Amino acid sequence: MNSRTSERPVEIVMIEDDEGHARLIEKNIRRAGVNNPIAPFKNGTDGVNYLFGADGSGLASKGKPLLVLLDLNLPDMTGVEILGRIKSNEHMKRVPVVVLTTTDDAQEVQRCYDLGCNVYITKPVNYENFANAIRQLGLFFSVIQVPSPE
Amino acid sequence: MPGRRPLTAIYKSKLQPVLLGSAFALLVAISIATAFVVNRAGDDAENLNQTLQLQDRLTNVLLIMRRAESGQRGYLLTGRPDYLTDYSSAAPRIAPSIDELRQAAGDDPALKPTVDKIEVLSRPKIEEMARTVDMAQRGDTAGALALIGSDVGRNTMEEIRQTVAEAVATQRQVRIERAQISDRNNTVLLFLTIGGSLLIVAIGAVSIFLVQRNYRRAEVARQELAGTNANLERIVEFRTADLSEANEEIQRFAYIVSHDLRSPLVNIMGFTSELEALRQDIFAEVERLRAEVATLKNQADPALEADPTAQLGQDFDEAIGFIKSSIGNMDRLITAVLRLSREGRRQFHPETVNMNALVGGLIDTVSHRVTELSATLNVADLPSVETDPLAAQQIFGNLIDNALKYGRDGEKLQIDIRGRLTATHAMYDVQDNGRGIDPGDFQRVFELFRRAGKQDRPGEGIGLAHVRALVRRMGGTMGLNSEPGKGSTFTVTLPRRWVGDKRSAA
Repeated sequence: MNSRTSERPVEIVMIEDDEGHARLIEKNIRRAGVNNPIAPFKNGTDGVNYLFGADGSGLASKGKPLLVLLDLNLPDMTGVEILGRIKSNEHMKRVPVVVLTTTDDAQEVQRCYDLGCNVYITKPVNYENFANAIRQLGLFFSVIQVPSPE
Repeated sequence: MPGRRPLTAIYKSKLQPVLLGSAFALLVAISIATAFVVNRAGDDAENLNQTLQLQDRLTNVLLIMRRAESGQRGYLLTGRPDYLTDYSSAAPRIAPSIDELRQAAGDDPALKPTVDKIEVLSRPKIEEMARTVDMAQRGDTAGALALIGSDVGRNTMEEIRQTVAEAVATQRQVRIERAQISDRNNTVLLFLTIGGSLLIVAIGAVSIFLVQRNYRRAEVARQELAGTNANLERIVEFRTADLSEANEEIQRFAYIVSHDLRSPLVNIMGFTSELEALRQDIFAEVERLRAEVATLKNQADPALEADPTAQLGQDFDEAIGFIKSSIGNMDRLITAVLRLSREGRRQFHPETVNMNALVGGLIDTVSHRVTELSATLNVADLPSVETDPLAAQQIFGNLIDNALKYGRDGEKLQIDIRGRLTATHAMYDVQDNGRGIDPGDFQRVFELFRRAGKQDRPGEGIGLAHVRALVRRMGGTMGLNSEPGKGSTFTVTLPRRWVGDKRSAA
């Protein structure tokens, strides 16, 4: 996910309100050998501001290779809302979005895919499974092709 | 609604039957009076006829006698035989005419003296006429004339005439009186009929008025009722909506809570595992340091010889073990609540379910356990029922599972499944000879996360709560009869016909 796609390494934008989860996710991604920079955000607003820029147009992210790791349950807005905004934004619609959340409600899963989410993963409570899932996601990150910046 | 009278008062108005009753009674009275008067009119006509006949007979007697007399006198004066013929034809008819008169008079006591008098008077007259004619025939015309001249016959005749005239007058009077009475009766009847009819018309009018008033009131009441019904339906709708909303909120709440509880659990579990992983590093480090210290001191230190790390490691593992098993339990509970809330939102798809096939299928899935426990499982013929097959499967699967789970030590398990029908419901018993449930726990076993008796079997206390929730949602009831140490009977009562999802009412 780095040199093969572009000069600049792909940045992982992680919007996850639970710091513990964020830490565990990061740990396990690193364990999978993924060394890309991770930009963590504890709430939706900060994440959105980072992704869409101060003007909210999304121009800020234009030309940046990004991958978004998104939790659905955020204190200030829902992840679904952010997903919708990303996928309907001209500059960001091709950015891969991985929804990583505790919700395993079938309707929610369906809604996310309808909105254009690329991967939906339910966080398992069992840590072994959790670690496995994240590591596999990390392995997935290492082979995934993200769109080249224009 | 102010001024609303009870509906029954409108329909139970006592005036109406009284009015109708009196109208009917009046009609009957008028009919009877008419019949009576018509009958009387018949009598009157009969009487009138009699009176006329009587008058006729009376005048007839007088007429015949006068004919006989005129014949007699003509013969005596002229000596012509045709007068004699007149006489002789009339004279013998006098007595029969009097007999006819008597007959016509009948047994009228007022007439009898008159008839008697006429008869008595007629005899000397007949005799006088016969004698004079006889004398004249024998040539003694002078003697005969002298006899007539004695005026005996004439006086008698006059007397008869008077008697007859009086009788006729009396009869006429009687007739007039009777006619008057008849007229009066008829008039009375006429007025009675007119009055009665008017009264009936009046009653009819009042009745119509009352009926109309009742109808109007009934109409008003009906409209009120319709309004109330509509209102009621609205209220029910609101309440149902409220209940559904509350229920949905509870479902959402259960979902959100269990979901949100899961998040920190991921952390606890995750970092506990991280800690466990760290343990290896920490203890390895301790071991290394210990060895280093030993090398530095270059001597065998008895304090270092004793391995404290083994004890520490044990304590560490024990703590981590408790934390992890508790997290595991909590995760199971949360998963159960999630499952329940998800089940609670599931739509039912009712169909006619062959319970024999359904229970048979469930038994097949537990056959290995039945064999393991060397249990006996008897299934009687079960009636079919219209219900959600998946729900029925869960209900009976849970009950059979429980029966297999809670056997009694040293007792061969026997499970009997029976069914029966009532008019409206199908009832199914799942009976076992297991450990039984204390009557004090009958309610408790159906509560979420609550269990009863010896806790030596795995489980979260969800099965029966789920069963009861399902049965209730399908409009049924759950029954339990049990004696500790003897066995339990769970009775599922389901409506034979699907009655809809009772979620909002549950």
